[in-house]
This record gives sequence, C-alpha cells and structure tokens, in this order.
Amino acid sequence: MMDANQVALIKKIMELDFACIDLNLYLDTHPDDQKALRDYNYYSQQSRSLKTQYEQLYGPLMSFGETPSQCNRFRWVDDPWPWEIQY
Amino acid sequence: MYEYNGFYIQSYDAGQKGLAEAYIPMQKYISSYPPEQGLRRGTIFPELDKPYIEEKARGY
Repeated sequence: MMDANQVALIKKIMELDFACIDLNLYLDTHPDDQKALRDYNYYSQQSRSLKTQYEQLYGPLMSFGETPSQCNRFRWVDDPWPWEIQY
Repeated sequence: MYEYNGFYIQSYDAGQKGLAEAYIPMQKYISSYPPEQGLRRGTIFPELDKPYIEEKARGY
C-alpha cells in the first residue's frame, strides 16, 4: 500500500510531467518561444528533483537502466503491480 | 453536382462552396495554469480549455 507521502509525491510528479508534455507539444511548433522554454525547463527540473527524491524513498519509477540502484537489492520487483496501486 | 479540376463533385449543401477550408491562428503562449490545475483540466493552456457544455453551446 502506498503511504500518504508517496501518493502526494507521485501526484506532484504526474502534474509536473503533464505540464512538460503540454509545453513540449507547444514548443514543437514554437521552438524559439523563450517564455515557454523557461517554463519547460523549470517544470522539467522540478520533476527531475522530485523523481530523485521519490526514488530514494520508494525505489525506481522506471526500469531498464533509467535509475541506478541505491541499495543492494533490485527494488524494481518490490513495486506494486499496476492493478494493485490505489491513489 | 459541380465540376472542379475536371472532376465532378457532389456537396451536400447543393451550393457552390468548397467542402472545407480550415484557418488555424498561431497560438501565443502567455501563461499557463498551475500544474495541478492543468492536469485536472486536461490542458495547461487557458486558451485551450474549452469543454463542450451543451447549454452554453445551444445558447440556453
């Protein structure tokens, strides 16, 4: 079961990633828009730092070499299966 | 039925108008919703947040 802090963290990450996706779509057609680029970089850095924080506490968010393991166990296998996750 | 570039075209409005001609203005990014609101609304761009609300659409 995910504890409250884990749920809060993952929700924040989802929000930031969504903002990055939307800005990415805008930047596809407006690559020189400085304001959009600034916001994109800001959300992207925010998301990266929250993901790092999350992964130290709860294990990797993505596999296949995305994050080196921080302990002597492959914590990827400890994650809940998608159907077990309750937000 | 009318002739266009050597082809006969039937348009349902029986008029001479072309079938479609889209005009899409370029979006100018001014500001975005905060991320939490953006995820909830399905877009971070206020100008694209256009839910279909029947009453409004039908001018009730």
